[in-house]
Amino acid sequence: MLAEFAESRDASLRDRVVEAHLGLAEYLARRFSNRGEPLDDLVQVASVGLIKAVDRFDPSREVEFSTYATHTIVGELKRHFRDKGWSVRAPRRMQELYLRLGNVISVLSQELGRSPTVPELATEAGVSEEEVLEALEAGQAYRSTSIDAPGSAGARAAGEEGDTLASHLGGLDPELVEAERRAELSPLIASLPEREQTILYMRFFEGLTQSEIATRLDISQMHVSRLLARSLEQLREASLGD
Amino acid sequence: MDEVKLTLPATPDFLRLARVTASGVASRMGFTVDEVEDLRLAIDELCFALTGSPPPPGTVELTYSLDGASLRVEGVGHFNGHATLPLTLTDLSERILEALVDEHELLETDGVPSFRLVKNRQSTA
Repeated sequence: MLAEFAESRDASLRDRVVEAHLGLAEYLARRFSNRGEPLDDLVQVASVGLIKAVDRFDPSREVEFSTYATHTIVGELKRHFRDKGWSVRAPRRMQELYLRLGNVISVLSQELGRSPTVPELATEAGVSEEEVLEALEAGQAYRSTSIDAPGSAGARAAGEEGDTLASHLGGLDPELVEAERRAELSPLIASLPEREQTILYMRFFEGLTQSEIATRLDISQMHVSRLLARSLEQLREASLGD
Repeated sequence: MDEVKLTLPATPDFLRLARVTASGVASRMGFTVDEVEDLRLAIDELCFALTGSPPPPGTVELTYSLDGASLRVEGVGHFNGHATLPLTLTDLSERILEALVDEHELLETDGVPSFRLVKNRQSTA
């Protein structure tokens, strides 16, 4: 099939090759899932790597496709962490600590049954409280990449529809959500990506904490924090134009 | 009651320190990460309401008062006679701040704009 695609460059054949290897992309994404990024996002990044591998693979070379694809996908995942995630360069040490803290927060939240304090985080991570605070602040420079955008290239390439409100609402009553949204969400909020609308709704209208939202959406608390900060900044900027 | 005072140029780069200081003080008081994050968002929201965008030339004077499990933050804008935007919070900002902190207000006294917020530590860490 790969040789046939390399010859014909037929799009439907390409899709079949990609679909046949999505398991590899998911497997590799899981290997990076302990660094504070949601697995869904990493799978999308890995899928983009897989598509690149399919497009670039040359069957005439004596390399197994799985070997070639693994190399390409891992490269894409590493690039995601190194380059795309940080809108402002933070020291690498702080980047790494920030990503590590994501896991520590999750573990401690489960153990304690509540959000941990900064001293607890510092003790668990084996760093000073100042370093934790510095890393949390540095996290504000960490932005979610375009894979957060609904219907992003990565999502489409992976054969998904991208994030939808329904996919993140879990047990909420959709009719109630819609009624509340119609009544209360301003046009400004409606202009945000649906995932961010969902998080805003949960935090400011439903009264969930960041940790509770993280649990419900199966993403990290730090990811919720970043998305909230970014959303509020966008709302403030948008309000200037009113 | 302990107090921390900070006077910053009213520019986004320096106003970031208002957030950093709030995090540091709240952390010392045993606030959880969730509560610290709420506080940071509230400081951003109120500093924006105080200064507008872009901020006029001047300074913002911040006072962090630590009272048991309660942290009060007051911010006063000194804009050297420059006119500021009318001090108002949109309905959405009001809603956001109500969710983030226990008390908040935006004031203008004799032409001097200010804000005040109170965040109480909820958890028993």
